[in-house]
Amino acid sequence: MFEKILFNLIWILPFLTVLFCVPIAKERVNLLKRIHLTSAGTVLLITLVLACRMMLSYEPYAGGNQFALSYLTDIPWLSSLSAHYLVAADALSILMLVLAAVIIFTGILASWNINHGQKVFFALLQILAASVYGVFMSFDLVLFFVFYEMEALCMYLIIANYGSGDTDYGGKKLTLTLAVGSAMVLAVIFGIYVEGSSFSILELSNIKLSEDFQKWAFPLLFMGFAVSSSLFPFHFWSPAGHSAAPTAVSMFAAGVMMKMGAYGCLRVAIYLMPEGAKLTLPYILVFVLFNVCFGPFIAMRHKDLKFITAYSSISHLGLIFLGLTALTPTALRGASLQMLSHGFLTGLFFATIGMIYGRTHTRDITQMGGLMKIMPFLGVGFVIAGFAGLGLPGFSGFVAEATIFMGAFQNGGTLCRIATVLGILSVTATAVYILQTANRMLHGPITNEHFKTLPDATFEEKIVIVTFVVCLLVIGLCPAPFADFLDTSIAPIYANLTR
Amino acid sequence: MSLAILPDILLILFPFVVLALRLFLGKYAKLQWYASNVLLIAIFILLNLLLLGNTEYFLSNWKIDSFGIFMREVFVLGAICALWFSKDYFMHDSCGKPRLKHMPEFTALIGFATFGGFVVVSACDLITLFIGLELATIPMYALAAFNKRDTEGSEAAIKFILMGSLATAFELFGFSYLYGFAGTLDIRLIEHIVSNSPSSPLLWIAALFLISGVGFKLTLFPFHTWAPDVYDGAPTPVTALLSVTSKAVAVAFVAVLVFGPFKAVQSYLSPFIALLAALTLLSGNLGALKQSKLRRFMAYSSISQAGYILIAILGPIETAKTAIVYYLFIYTLANYLAFFIFGIVGSHRNEDFISLRGLSKQNLTLAVGLVVALMSLAGIPPLAGFFGKFHLFFAAAQTHHYVLVTFAVLNNVLALYYYIQVIKAAWVDKPSEELTPLCMTLRQKVVVVILTIAVISIGFLPFLSNNISSGLNL
Repeated sequence: MFEKILFNLIWILPFLTVLFCVPIAKERVNLLKRIHLTSAGTVLLITLVLACRMMLSYEPYAGGNQFALSYLTDIPWLSSLSAHYLVAADALSILMLVLAAVIIFTGILASWNINHGQKVFFALLQILAASVYGVFMSFDLVLFFVFYEMEALCMYLIIANYGSGDTDYGGKKLTLTLAVGSAMVLAVIFGIYVEGSSFSILELSNIKLSEDFQKWAFPLLFMGFAVSSSLFPFHFWSPAGHSAAPTAVSMFAAGVMMKMGAYGCLRVAIYLMPEGAKLTLPYILVFVLFNVCFGPFIAMRHKDLKFITAYSSISHLGLIFLGLTALTPTALRGASLQMLSHGFLTGLFFATIGMIYGRTHTRDITQMGGLMKIMPFLGVGFVIAGFAGLGLPGFSGFVAEATIFMGAFQNGGTLCRIATVLGILSVTATAVYILQTANRMLHGPITNEHFKTLPDATFEEKIVIVTFVVCLLVIGLCPAPFADFLDTSIAPIYANLTR
Repeated sequence: MSLAILPDILLILFPFVVLALRLFLGKYAKLQWYASNVLLIAIFILLNLLLLGNTEYFLSNWKIDSFGIFMREVFVLGAICALWFSKDYFMHDSCGKPRLKHMPEFTALIGFATFGGFVVVSACDLITLFIGLELATIPMYALAAFNKRDTEGSEAAIKFILMGSLATAFELFGFSYLYGFAGTLDIRLIEHIVSNSPSSPLLWIAALFLISGVGFKLTLFPFHTWAPDVYDGAPTPVTALLSVTSKAVAVAFVAVLVFGPFKAVQSYLSPFIALLAALTLLSGNLGALKQSKLRRFMAYSSISQAGYILIAILGPIETAKTAIVYYLFIYTLANYLAFFIFGIVGSHRNEDFISLRGLSKQNLTLAVGLVVALMSLAGIPPLAGFFGKFHLFFAAAQTHHYVLVTFAVLNNVLALYYYIQVIKAAWVDKPSEELTPLCMTLRQKVVVVILTIAVISIGFLPFLSNNISSGLNL
């Protein structure tokens, strides 16, 4: 019982924090920041404790298409829709919760020095946090969608008010494109209810929705979710949005929000409509190829650090989708590992970029040079993120990508094999832009005299970087427990695929 | 005879009480204000206390059923909000227009319009139904021209009354065909006769004219063109009343017809209704994109909201009724919240987007309230509007109108764009000149805070929707 309450607190606590901060005067910035940091830290602690308990005591996959759920809470909610408040955790969701909690905690630390409107900023960040926690916890489609769409409320405000560059344009582009995706998802959710007469993912997994319905609903649902993971024709929001957003939101958007889409594809689309998945995913693979192959090349041509990282994210998310479209157990496991790994990786990327930008006030790599001499700590952080991104063994990226490629090759389809080969080749292109960027930015002579006086990372920033590096290393060096644990989430989905 | 008719009796007394107080105790202006508040709130509470198992009839043609009770609650809620909102316009000048005079007459007209709504949901024959709809509309003509020295208001009222009379003629024409077809005025008998011969051309003509007539009041495409002009010209409290009460009455009228006499032909009518809904959505949303005046903007926004409500009519009866009542509750609250905020801003500056600039710096409560109101109208969770729209689409999806639902949710993105434009003005744009300070009275502050909390919480807290669905499905 106590654990269930703790589990539900994960999404309630951010809201309580916002309410608690309403009466505090907006001038008392330090107090506000500490309250929010404590709250985010508590959530992080809760997720870590719950995740550890689950990882230490999980039972191996017993067969069947049901998840091994812990902390299940099921309360009737809206009787007119027969919707339930149904939250629970399985392996994938608890690990994603840890990822989200880490990103939010470090995000608050990374935005320690924002200089105006702190009260509203942190409140919006907490609402964003609550929305992603909710997405990863809920097993009822109405509840899921409520949390999934909630971010639209805050994303525009936070980007337009606290971002840099063309914030209004970036914010609108991001919010509206994501809204298109959610609209597609919503339309299919109604269809699913009418066909399966339930909103509960657990009940729906036992119902075989009619194939005629799946044929049109699956692509709509999959692409709807894929919008927030910036899959090819809908990838355009990501560079504009990320470059306009403040650091914490870039970290959040790339680290967690883009994973929400992939998570939805796996947990809702593929799990509930396996027949549709088998039928249409080979065609969607064509879109995925664009992400995987062109992402790195576009990144190579860009000079703005955030654009480079945004396109790098697009290509990495393409790898997740490669795993999802291959539909073999190994590939699905790789995809879920990549969700986790890329979250930490991109969090570190955007955090270091934000910190460097906060000092140099430029993100143009041609204007920078020799930063390693001035700010070695940040420089090393950036290089580590880069290495993890290009798949250096020892970091989590390697484990995840290798698993995806292995799994994708197991799928016998010719197109899938070609895609795998192209994907492996694209990792080389990734190496090119990452090494080139790191080289131009960090090494060589110091190009700008003003840079010489810039300070290195502060204490808060060091915590941020160290946290991410530790996470990357832990998954990279001992992936086996995570992979086995995740299998308990993947196996039921695969069981549905082979029904 | 049970107590169920008590609220109706109280409401018909309400305008006369207010006018009598004005006549005999005219110098105690406060008394009229308190009396009208007490009466309306009493009626609202009474309606909430009524628990109705089955439909009751009074004098054989005054029907009180659970749908009627819930709609009555919506109308009275709208009247209370209108009363509170209009109060400020009688106290001081706003946006360059002189203050309104004769509050009791204004209140009485609101009372009559509200009673018109009561009549529509209780009517058992076509004549009563027609009288109800007219009773809800004619006070609006007078209200639109309430500021008689204001030329814009008079112009709006004339446009309104000309178009409105045309619509009334259409309705009467439709009713006459329906009468000619069925040979009776009794709605229950007509329902029976229609189900026996659903494919008569007379019925089609009747339906066509009735929908055209009510389409005017509901601002459906292509009968919506009057709305922006009238909304813009009329005094702001009247605009709010038009966008809520008038629309709710029209929705009730459509529901009474479609779920009553036309029940048997609902499946024939639905492609037509679906087309109207889709076009209304699109024209409202496209029209709102380029507006810079707040009231014109709200006009287009409410046109598109009418389209959303119409979608639910396509669903199965019980689900559709739940969705419509629930959405109207939420729409009333969210729309009035937006109008309250525009009114407070407008009492110091012009009512356009530019005067919203700097609102977030100046008054955080108002700025947050604005975001909540508009995002609720746009249907973003966890705000109430999302759950309202979810119910509407849910109803239509149950009768397999997938294409329309998909079209409607995609239209929502368009709506999100223009609501964000307003939020941008309030939160992001820098004010061009020194701002005149915004002073709010305590009453305004309380209302804005209460409405904000209501719009945030009424959706995800299940009480309202569970209450409505269980009340309607008894």
